[in-house]
Amino acid sequence: MNASIRQRTKAGSILVQLTTALFVIAFLFPYIYLIMTSLKPSMEVISTTPTLLPSAFTLDSFRTMFDVLPVGKYIGNSFITAISSTVVSVFLGSLAAYGLSRFSSRIGNLFLLLTLAVRMVPLISVAVPMYGIINRLGLYDTKTALILVYTSINIPFVIWMMIGFFDGLPKELDESARVDGCGKFGAFMRIILPISLPGLATTAIFSYMLSWNDFLMALMMSSTTAKTLPVGLSEFLGAYNLDLGPMTAAAVLFSLPVMLFSVMIQRYIVSGMTMGAVKE
Amino acid sequence: MTKSDRRTAFLFFAPAASFMILFFVYPMFLLVRDSLFDSKTGTQFVGGENYIRALSSDRFYKSLYNTVVFVVGAVSIELILGLVLALLLSTGFRGSHAARTMFLSPLMIAPLVGGLIWKFMLNDQFGILNTILFKIGWIDSPQSILWLSDERYALLSCMIADVWLTTPFMMLVLLAGIQGIPESLYEAAHIDGANKAQRFWRITLPCLRPVIVVALLIRIIDAARSFDIIWVLTQGGPNFSSSVLSTMIYNSMARFNQVGYASAMAILFMVVLMAICGVFMMRLWNPNKKAI
Repeated sequence: MNASIRQRTKAGSILVQLTTALFVIAFLFPYIYLIMTSLKPSMEVISTTPTLLPSAFTLDSFRTMFDVLPVGKYIGNSFITAISSTVVSVFLGSLAAYGLSRFSSRIGNLFLLLTLAVRMVPLISVAVPMYGIINRLGLYDTKTALILVYTSINIPFVIWMMIGFFDGLPKELDESARVDGCGKFGAFMRIILPISLPGLATTAIFSYMLSWNDFLMALMMSSTTAKTLPVGLSEFLGAYNLDLGPMTAAAVLFSLPVMLFSVMIQRYIVSGMTMGAVKE
Repeated sequence: MTKSDRRTAFLFFAPAASFMILFFVYPMFLLVRDSLFDSKTGTQFVGGENYIRALSSDRFYKSLYNTVVFVVGAVSIELILGLVLALLLSTGFRGSHAARTMFLSPLMIAPLVGGLIWKFMLNDQFGILNTILFKIGWIDSPQSILWLSDERYALLSCMIADVWLTTPFMMLVLLAGIQGIPESLYEAAHIDGANKAQRFWRITLPCLRPVIVVALLIRIIDAARSFDIIWVLTQGGPNFSSSVLSTMIYNSMARFNQVGYASAMAILFMVVLMAICGVFMMRLWNPNKKAI
């Protein structure tokens, strides 16, 4: 798009750059403020004359964080539940998406309609009966419970994403695999899955984020052993706790690695965000 | 379609389907059942009583109203801001790619963490936003706007946090849409002497319409369902001024243990949301619409 009509005027371009820069600053400010706050000495965190930069950089908040919050355990729980539910839901979801994309059937179409309808269901409304089921299965406050719940929340999303992807693959691909002696399942595992890797990666990233960022389900279904970091973080708010430094430190620890990683894999995120909304 | 095809299809989606039946369809069934039983013990059939209670409760309407205000307010600001940002970035100036990367940063932040950040920035005593507004002279004292404890501002504060968190999504989707508009359209318009404003209103916006509709649909559903941000910022308070349907349902469920009542509200919520989405989708699938 070089020298396109959209970018002709020079003066306009400077104005555009300036405006964009202002917006960038506005959008980055809250997060930078969080990081800076986590590096402040504890008295400064709740100073009534807040400043952006700390008077002295210190890791005190990070140190006390480990005393007041079992951060390691919570992050471990967040990670294990997110990664397990991602693996299971991406596998089962793409299996279903492939079946629905290649072999049409009436019950399949009905199922597809269900996956679409599910997206409109407010999580809060199914959260309670889900909680009841988990309780009856004797799984309350276990990582298994969260993995099961996240998997079922993610599956419709995976199907939605992958069906578009599989529809774009030529059917001859499966046929030639079948000619070469693969079964239907073999064709899926050995041919279709490997060449769908970019789509799978995008989908996996988003299902991971759905689980990792979840608060409501973990809030309802865990109390001590399976608690994830978002729930742990939210507890700082309940108590009359004015030592908020550790909270900001934990928030940074929880979000910064993901954010840096997401910048690295930007390509997949952009394609995933636009896959659903901008088609053809 | 052969019989074996149907069987294969079934085998492929059976595992996923069983997950969804156990954790979505069955819970929905339980939800409907719960809504018809009394809230205290959950054993006595009361028919539509919970629904009547919800539909005659001021708080329910207050929460419904707040939900609508939150969704309409937040999503329209996101749309306008997202469109402006997308248009800015679509000019493709030097550094626009870097700017896009930076705009992406709030995208992956957990809503809960986003809420925490804003809770911090909007705090009555040590919030930095008031300090900034005070320094640039927009307010008289750093304490003059109590963002989270003043009934007039609580819901607005939640909207601000939501806008910050989700405008990047809007921007990204609209940017992809804009970049998909064929350059030849603009060239033709240029030759015909259309100015910038005309090109925007006559080409960009109409071509972008399908993308905008889908993005709006996604955002409306998600904004209506949002819980984390509001829960962290205000828990629906003060005095229910920022209570939305999801926080109200959660409260009656978890705090007051009124499962029947909460279930009835949850179903009403779902029906309203699905009706709105249905209307939207019908417009989307309008067979008369011209394909781009």
